[in-house]
Amino acid sequence: MKKIRFITIIINLLFAVLCAQGTVEGKITDESGLPISGANVYLKNSDIGSISDSDGNYKLNSLPQGELFLVVDFIGYEKSENIVIISSDEIRTINVILTTSVLSGQEVVVVGYGTLQRREVTGSISRISDLALREARTLGFEEALQGNVSGVDVQEYSGEPGAAPNIRIRGAGSISAGNEPLYVVDGFPISKNLGLQGSLFRRRAAFKPPSSNPLAVISPDDIESIEILKDASAAAIYGSRGANGVVIITTKRAGKTGVPVIKFSSYSGSQTVSNKASMMNAEEIIAYTKDARNNNYLQTYDPTNSASANYNASYNPNDNTGRPSGGNYRIPEKYINWDGTDTDWLDLIFTDAPVSNNTFSISNGTENFGYAISGGYFDQSGLIKNSSFKRYNASTRINGKFKERLGYGLNLNTVFTKNSRVPANAPYFGRPPGIVYSAMVHSPVIKPYNSDGTINQLDGQSYLGNGTTSASNPLAIIEGIKEELNNHRSYGNIYADINIIPGLTFKSSAGLDLNNYMGSFYRSNSLLYRTSKSGDPYAQSSSGSSFNWLWENTVNYKTTFSNVHNLSMLAGYTAQKEIVEISSLVARIFPDDQVSTISGGTVTEGDGTKEEWSLASILGRLNYNYDYKYLLTLAVRSDRSSRFGKNNQTGIFPSFSAAWRIHEESFMKSLDMVSELKIRASYGVTGNFQIPNYGSIGLLGQGLYPSGDNTDPAIYPQTFSNADLGWETTIQTNFGSDFALFEDRIYGSFDTYNSDTEDLLLFVGVPASTGFTTALKNIGKVNNKGLEFNLTSRNLSGELSWSTDFNYSTNKNEVIELGGNNEPIYSRGSAGVRHVTRVGDAVGSYYGYVVDGVYQNQSEIDSAPTDILAKAPRPGDFRFKDINGDGIINTDDRTVTGSYNPDYIWGITNRLKYKNFDFSIFFQGVEGREILNLTARHMKNGEANFNSYDVLNNRWVSESDPGDGQTPRADRSTGTHGNNNRPSSYQVEDGSYLRLKNLTIGYTLPSSIPEKYAESIRVFFTARNLATWTDYIGFNPEVSLQSQNMLTQGEDYGAYPLSVSLVFGLNVTF
Amino acid sequence: MMKINKIIRINSWLIILCAFIISCSDEFTFLAPHSQRNVDNFYQTKVDFETALNGVYDALQSGGAYGNQSDVATGGTGGYWMMTEMRSDNTDQGGDVTGLAAAVAELNEFAETPLSEYTLGAWVGSYQGVARANTLITRITSADLDNAFKNQVIGEALFVRSLFYYNLAMLFGNIPMPLEEILETNPKQTQLSESQILTQLVTDLTDAAAKMSGTQSKAGQATKWSALTLLGRVQLHLGNKTEAASALNQVITSGNFSLLNNYSDLWGPSNENGNESIFEIQFVAGGLGEGSGFTNSFSPSADLQTGEGGGRNRPTTDMVDAYESGDLRFKVSMDTMYVLNGDTSYQRHIKKYESNPFANFDADNNFIVFRYADVLLMAAEALGEGAQAYTYINQIRTRAGLSNISSSSPGSFGDNLLQERRVELAFENHRWYDLLRFGTAVSTMNAHFAGQGFSITVTDNGLIFPIPQREIDLGLTQNPGY
Repeated sequence: MKKIRFITIIINLLFAVLCAQGTVEGKITDESGLPISGANVYLKNSDIGSISDSDGNYKLNSLPQGELFLVVDFIGYEKSENIVIISSDEIRTINVILTTSVLSGQEVVVVGYGTLQRREVTGSISRISDLALREARTLGFEEALQGNVSGVDVQEYSGEPGAAPNIRIRGAGSISAGNEPLYVVDGFPISKNLGLQGSLFRRRAAFKPPSSNPLAVISPDDIESIEILKDASAAAIYGSRGANGVVIITTKRAGKTGVPVIKFSSYSGSQTVSNKASMMNAEEIIAYTKDARNNNYLQTYDPTNSASANYNASYNPNDNTGRPSGGNYRIPEKYINWDGTDTDWLDLIFTDAPVSNNTFSISNGTENFGYAISGGYFDQSGLIKNSSFKRYNASTRINGKFKERLGYGLNLNTVFTKNSRVPANAPYFGRPPGIVYSAMVHSPVIKPYNSDGTINQLDGQSYLGNGTTSASNPLAIIEGIKEELNNHRSYGNIYADINIIPGLTFKSSAGLDLNNYMGSFYRSNSLLYRTSKSGDPYAQSSSGSSFNWLWENTVNYKTTFSNVHNLSMLAGYTAQKEIVEISSLVARIFPDDQVSTISGGTVTEGDGTKEEWSLASILGRLNYNYDYKYLLTLAVRSDRSSRFGKNNQTGIFPSFSAAWRIHEESFMKSLDMVSELKIRASYGVTGNFQIPNYGSIGLLGQGLYPSGDNTDPAIYPQTFSNADLGWETTIQTNFGSDFALFEDRIYGSFDTYNSDTEDLLLFVGVPASTGFTTALKNIGKVNNKGLEFNLTSRNLSGELSWSTDFNYSTNKNEVIELGGNNEPIYSRGSAGVRHVTRVGDAVGSYYGYVVDGVYQNQSEIDSAPTDILAKAPRPGDFRFKDINGDGIINTDDRTVTGSYNPDYIWGITNRLKYKNFDFSIFFQGVEGREILNLTARHMKNGEANFNSYDVLNNRWVSESDPGDGQTPRADRSTGTHGNNNRPSSYQVEDGSYLRLKNLTIGYTLPSSIPEKYAESIRVFFTARNLATWTDYIGFNPEVSLQSQNMLTQGEDYGAYPLSVSLVFGLNVTF
Repeated sequence: MMKINKIIRINSWLIILCAFIISCSDEFTFLAPHSQRNVDNFYQTKVDFETALNGVYDALQSGGAYGNQSDVATGGTGGYWMMTEMRSDNTDQGGDVTGLAAAVAELNEFAETPLSEYTLGAWVGSYQGVARANTLITRITSADLDNAFKNQVIGEALFVRSLFYYNLAMLFGNIPMPLEEILETNPKQTQLSESQILTQLVTDLTDAAAKMSGTQSKAGQATKWSALTLLGRVQLHLGNKTEAASALNQVITSGNFSLLNNYSDLWGPSNENGNESIFEIQFVAGGLGEGSGFTNSFSPSADLQTGEGGGRNRPTTDMVDAYESGDLRFKVSMDTMYVLNGDTSYQRHIKKYESNPFANFDADNNFIVFRYADVLLMAAEALGEGAQAYTYINQIRTRAGLSNISSSSPGSFGDNLLQERRVELAFENHRWYDLLRFGTAVSTMNAHFAGQGFSITVTDNGLIFPIPQREIDLGLTQNPGY
């Protein structure tokens, strides 16, 4: 093989001066000689390619001269690579026989600071195929991971254009340091620093819009492959940053084609709202409201009892005759005399929204120099008017060689994103109010527009008087808030490597990541907050910039001795530093809405901060194998980070892993059924440094204290000092196996892991008498254990081919220790304390009372334990569970009622190919996740203070008409009666779902048609999120309002829904 | 040969490079904050301690203390007015109590649990002030600065700390009382009884009064007289009437304070820090985060001023009835209706803190903690029924446009004094502590609720609030009845 290669290089050099084009054609068959149609035939590292026709024939035109690598690839068969030497204007015939083995083990897998062949891998690494990436048709690559890779939980908690999804690899080990994996793009760790976007003053943390995704700067079309390092042995080479797993992204680069390859890809389509919540219509809310007022009136005043002091002889359940003045007993006038208005507010706020993507690339390469240039434009409108995300990106990649020994290269990416946002992730009373929530609570009897066509804000908005609650007109919020976040990011690196002696390479790489955000926000005079009759204009301008540099120096040595001992070694030194600066200005007093920047008002507040962190590391790795049969990997990294206390800045992260490829043993050769069997075991230590930059230093806060009309500066302690603050350490063991059966018709892998995260960086609750409520300490322990399973089955091959990918993973998250006396951490979310983190349960579990059915009659109430929180329950109210069985229901009877952590997640993709048609259908599901539906506090509480979920049509009415058995009666003042609205399991809902995530139909034009114009043309149709099956009554069963906070995850308090998108597209290669 | 040389050259270059980087790496990762001061280099100079003292005062403004519960939707925390005025018979939350207002109404109805966010706000806010004072006192004691300066700073810090502890003891009863900076994250906490706390306050306030100047160098600064006023109050709670009279008499005879001619001159941004003011929490509007929110919180309608009208802290009908006819203080303190665009709406609301704020929850209004009228009434209380006591009371009644009272007036001296305090000091956070001190809290509140048609019975357990659950979880013992 080596000899052939040598000869081809010589020949290649001989023909290098000639500039001619050749053609390769031939027939593709299987081992039995049957033609294979629909196989991909292409030149490696280029975009020249075609597909075999129904007779298995293919033809590639306009090929560059020289040594070419012809690749033939078809699902269910081993990828075939053929060296072809083309000289001037030659037509070569290359017939290819595909063997039914896809698992040669020689595919390249990118690992930290290098690559390995798949067969050499000893850790747990998932690779995402570019097929799945191509099919996803999304803004970001993250979504392509959802349901496609075992052990990776992608949480699409908001459908706002540009929102950053959460990624959790093998559960969340950390409670308050971050749980995001490390992202490495072409060797450069890209920070996902969400804080850089700045914060808006006067907006409660919980009600902020979702962060704009910093990783949206990576265009999925530029990605060649994504590797996910899941276990500690794979991730340990990233030491203090590896505990949450590592996502390695490799971008496309130039192939040695000799002629430019131009590729154009485009799609566009439309999006509609997914899984719309079901609200009451006018007649339903009127009936429900009357019911709630009547029940309250009847219970409190007993007006139908002639012996009562408040006897009302003319009591009428449909009007207010004789009722007391208190609003909570009276029916709103608009419900008594309904004018027939029945507005569907949700229909008004959502529109069909276009989405489109266009990318273009050109690449070319010769033996000593190559380049790839790509550019793209992505434009997505949101389901809610005025929200959108646009990305403009351009990349350049150059690689070259100088005098054989010296290689060099440059990667440069420049991206500009423009994110227009609307306040949708907030409740109706947020500031600014949440659009979706405001639309949900708005009564259908209110007209959205005034008779002159303007938005109705003054006719009470949603406020109908008589104890109803008000909300701003959602249409006015859409018009009245302007928010934009623009991001300009340039990142890349230059590198040089030198081959010192055969096998020994030194590489030095310097990288830079410049990231700038510019945000603006304007709340106009025109927006009236709930019942306000005048606006409260406010503008903010903020900017954040980071300067992040990295210098890496590595030495690699690779050798084989005695033909069976394969050894490779890596040693390196790296240093990295980031400087972050954020500033903002606030202005008020805008006389009108003509100028929406801060210059239109009076500047009243300002802020500017600068922070930095640095990391210096030494790393090393040794890979050894005996004849690819027994494999061993040792890796270690030592990190010094500025973020930790002076006494504890250095952490050392070792790992060890081994594998045995059993099928290479002679005793296995007779076992035909098994074509591959490899077992793996690993142990490793990784760390987490995602904590505040100055978490170990006792910081002082700064404020003012006035004296008369003046103000003087004021300084006070803000955080505890902790010079011993150190790493959070994760110790993970992994056992796994890769296997293939029946001549590789079925193959897959299986992994089981156990991961302990110790010395948690925890903001521990401390007595308030210290002056602080929390202190950052290394305390406690969280365990994650789970199973992962991937299976691919090639069900049919031949003219009609069909393959199935299936993956399943389960993870159990459990708090083991919390330090001290293991006091539970009770967390105050958006609406009081509803979360607990305690030993034995998952981090951030929901906490509250448990509903144990609905009282059907008075005797059930009389025999139930005394509920000190329910002052006067009646039939139809909830029976709460006496958890500790002491005969009284009080605060001690709160318990864990669920958690955001799913029991298991899975995905299944079926791909079919017939002649020129390709088809794929991808289902994805999550089981056993619960959502804390805080919107139920208002829209499912039985109080009817405004519009409600239509599940309340099934409410308890009487013992003979008990509704669905899970919904309490209507009662406007439940707080003083049955107290049904207390934090309980009633607001915890099942968030399990099954989603038809992706459906794609493609058609590749027969090669005769595009020949004149292009090399190949494929048209396709893709539907995303086409259907969702779930019991969750809100919009999105994955919602989590405070997505970054593990302690209060899983809240739904109004959120931007996901969209269903249908797109048509085109891929052309010239 | 050349090749080998080359290799050696490259290798030695690498070794030098690595050595260079590693030798620098200690400094490379020792990074101090740029944008925030830190404890390692603060608390050195006079200026440091002056700013730190401002930090102690700053805690008084917090939403958990003398500030106001700001916009609940953006995370308001409660405050002393909720814990005192609303707890008492002076104010309530009105009839429309669902949603977020329900948690406010709980305080009024003696229905709060250890999970109440508002009691937590008061607890945390108060202890934050205590800790700021403790840190300052600990740090300045060992600082190398002149004694006069140190004494004044320590005196002021002691006064502010005592004010926090006074409120904490009144509200929560059995509480920890650290007197020094705490560096431990899980310190040993001992709960002291209310009377133990008050006894310590007598020591601290006596010390503070001795250390402090009698004149202010700037508005809002605590003086010897502030300390003596609080000392008088604390002595009254302890039943030490003679000692109380002595402390209060020093304030009266200092000549620094007098009653203003008009009750209405006490209120509003243009009348701040006047001759009657003994200690006043300072607020300044203008988008600095230093404004007060009382006007928005207490206003019955969003249309009466900039920003919203929270409708909180509503005077009860009881309160309306408490004013004698012709009392000039009534219209200054509150109203039962408001007029907007010619339409009259009926809702009782507080007027003492009315102003047009710069922005929502950003108004100029200060909050007066102690004023001379309070001192006179406390002096009357300390002296007991007698000519001097009636002289003090009648000074106040005269200003209110009311006739004098005497020993021959109907009702007991105590009842009349309490009644006078109620209307004179209405909505200034004194009523609840007065009821506690006069021993009439249970009977007054039960009569009040009965009169309002509420079936709420107050017992002795209701006289102190539950200690927040988070503190119980961290080792404190809960008050009885919760």
